[in-house]
Amino acid sequence: MNHQPHILVIDDEPQITRALRTILTARQFRVSTAGRGEEGLALAAAQQPDMIILDLYLPDMDGIEVCRRLREWTKVPVIVLSVRDSERDKVTALDSGADDYLTKPFGIEELLARIRVAQRHAIQSQGAGQPVIVTGELEIDLAKHRVKHRGEEIKLTATEYKLLAYLVSHVGRVLTYRAILSHVWGPGESEHVEYLRVYVRQLRRKLEVDPEEPRYIINEPGVGYRFITQD
Amino acid sequence: MRILKIKLQPKWQNAFSHLLLALLVTLAFSGVLYLLRQFIDPLPIALLYLLPVGLCATLWGLGTGVLAAILAFLGLNYFFIEPRFSLFVHQSQDLIVLLVFLGVAIFISQMVGRTRNSLAAARARELEAVRLYRLSAELAELHNDRDIVESIARHIMETFQARQVQVTLEGKAGQETFLYRMPDEAISTQPFEHMHTLRMPLQSPNETIGEVRLWRVQSGQSPMEERLLQTFGYQSVLALERSRLIEAETRARVLEESDRMKTSLLSSVSHELRTPLSTIKAAATSLQSKAVSWDSEARDELLLAIDEEADHLNLLVGNLLDMSRIESGEFKPEQRWNALDEVIDTVLNRMRTALRRHFIEVDVPANLPLVFVDDVQIGQVFANLISNGLKYAPENTLIRIRASKRDEEAMLVQVSNQGPPVPAPDLERIFEKFHRVTAADRITGTGLGLSICKGIVEAHGGRIWAQNLPDGFAIYFTLPLTWQGISPHIPKEHEPSATHPSDR
Repeated sequence: MNHQPHILVIDDEPQITRALRTILTARQFRVSTAGRGEEGLALAAAQQPDMIILDLYLPDMDGIEVCRRLREWTKVPVIVLSVRDSERDKVTALDSGADDYLTKPFGIEELLARIRVAQRHAIQSQGAGQPVIVTGELEIDLAKHRVKHRGEEIKLTATEYKLLAYLVSHVGRVLTYRAILSHVWGPGESEHVEYLRVYVRQLRRKLEVDPEEPRYIINEPGVGYRFITQD
Repeated sequence: MRILKIKLQPKWQNAFSHLLLALLVTLAFSGVLYLLRQFIDPLPIALLYLLPVGLCATLWGLGTGVLAAILAFLGLNYFFIEPRFSLFVHQSQDLIVLLVFLGVAIFISQMVGRTRNSLAAARARELEAVRLYRLSAELAELHNDRDIVESIARHIMETFQARQVQVTLEGKAGQETFLYRMPDEAISTQPFEHMHTLRMPLQSPNETIGEVRLWRVQSGQSPMEERLLQTFGYQSVLALERSRLIEAETRARVLEESDRMKTSLLSSVSHELRTPLSTIKAAATSLQSKAVSWDSEARDELLLAIDEEADHLNLLVGNLLDMSRIESGEFKPEQRWNALDEVIDTVLNRMRTALRRHFIEVDVPANLPLVFVDDVQIGQVFANLISNGLKYAPENTLIRIRASKRDEEAMLVQVSNQGPPVPAPDLERIFEKFHRVTAADRITGTGLGLSICKGIVEAHGGRIWAQNLPDGFAIYFTLPLTWQGISPHIPKEHEPSATHPSDR
């Protein structure tokens, strides 16, 4: 399929849209841009892009509102751009259907990694998820409920496994504290970040080569966690 | 108080009791004189009869005195003037004596009674003055509306024997109306229908600022009460206006201070912004230049400089944002349970490029309890402290981060570097805004970093301080290990049984 992926950038800063257009075009993406929320929504409906990069601060409407309105009719991956100190906005955007976020200023490698993850996830959600994830020295078989490190099986408690399986099945994507807690511990426990901290620590001790320099389970301050692969 | 009470009794009851008193005193006196009639000439008897008159006038006032004078006149006539036991008078001489007696008695009772009444009035005025003095002395020490209103209500309650006092203050620009009730607010919900209400507006020269209402049993008010209530009102208005003036002045001073701060912040910030900008500009234009062909190592170095300086600018902007929020009092950390080692790892990971010329050692045991902090903000504290170390300590020296449990309540964190010591008098001042120990031309910085660390740590209920070490300099701070006095509870789970022993 010789189809260039189409990315819609909704951001009111011309410098950002210009830079993104140049960089992403060089990476074989087709790019269109919108400076306002309404314009962005209209373009999204008219052009059906493969992905949307959305700034949370737009002159005419809240980026979170744009996100909500997109989710009324499309599952197109949305990556929101935000700044430090607005963790609450990021979490709201993620809870309103955004797939991922990026804190400004960001390195372009980071953006490309997010785009790759979102693309992969969009393909996966159409078919069945990968049953076996292999990354570095780690092999996680979601169908057989088995985790191996350098070929040796690692024993996990039921909760540890549930947590790891949830993170891994969304590999590369950020998951908010609330989403993880209510999935692993139940909706009534969604405020108990302390459970998550302790279990992530336990998991790292069992999975990571150096738990103090985690390579798999990455902390997103104020927002949540993400499981990344080494490729 | 006592005087007020007497004045406030209904009049008819008063008059009746006075008549009774005068009658009793005069009769008793007549009895005594009658028993002693053999030993006393008739003439001094008339003089002696002046005694009950004076007594009544002194004790119970003018009316009773006059009453006693008439009764004494009748008694003298009845018991001692011939013919006795009748009110008839035979000799004209006796009639003159009687009439003169009546005149003198009434005159005396008037004199005494008036003196007594003016004494009472003087006492009442004195009491009034004392009350006013107490009120104004108390008001002079109060500086906010609530205290002032409470004090006014209490004084009015005591002075006017009110059952309930209510003070309403009109809302100042955009504020709600302030209502204060005395005594208990719960009681006040019952209607005081059977009571009498007095109202007094609180009127400043240009506007009505509120109203005082009081409920009490008796109706109406004496002129003195009216005057006193009004004076209380003036005093209250004065006190309220004064407190508002002070408030306005404080606000103006704070604004002025923050204005001054902003000016020096701007000049300091523009200075600091220029340094990374110069680097970025120089590196970018060098790379653009066609005159030199850069080898790949030099090219990478320039690109790294651009990247690093951009991060530096980002940290600075973050600090500015934090500073403005700390200053405006809007700063509220979003505290949740966090693993400190994780917070530190995230920061170090982000600062990796900047750290490449120094060694870093993290001594944070992995089994430390969780801390109740805003991880983004505490991350900013670590970033500032590490960036400080990078700035002041020479290359290839060690920056060390240590954490340990100080007690059940707090974690103690130390961030040290092998930079030069800070002179003792500056150890506290380095946390002030724009304070830098080193001359500005040697090391750039707004002097904001440490004061932000202080603001963040204190907003978490912790403490921060600096100390010189034998081989460098350290900042210490504490972080909370409990929230509302409680440590986090983690549900326990059994480790899976060893079904695959070979895994060990």
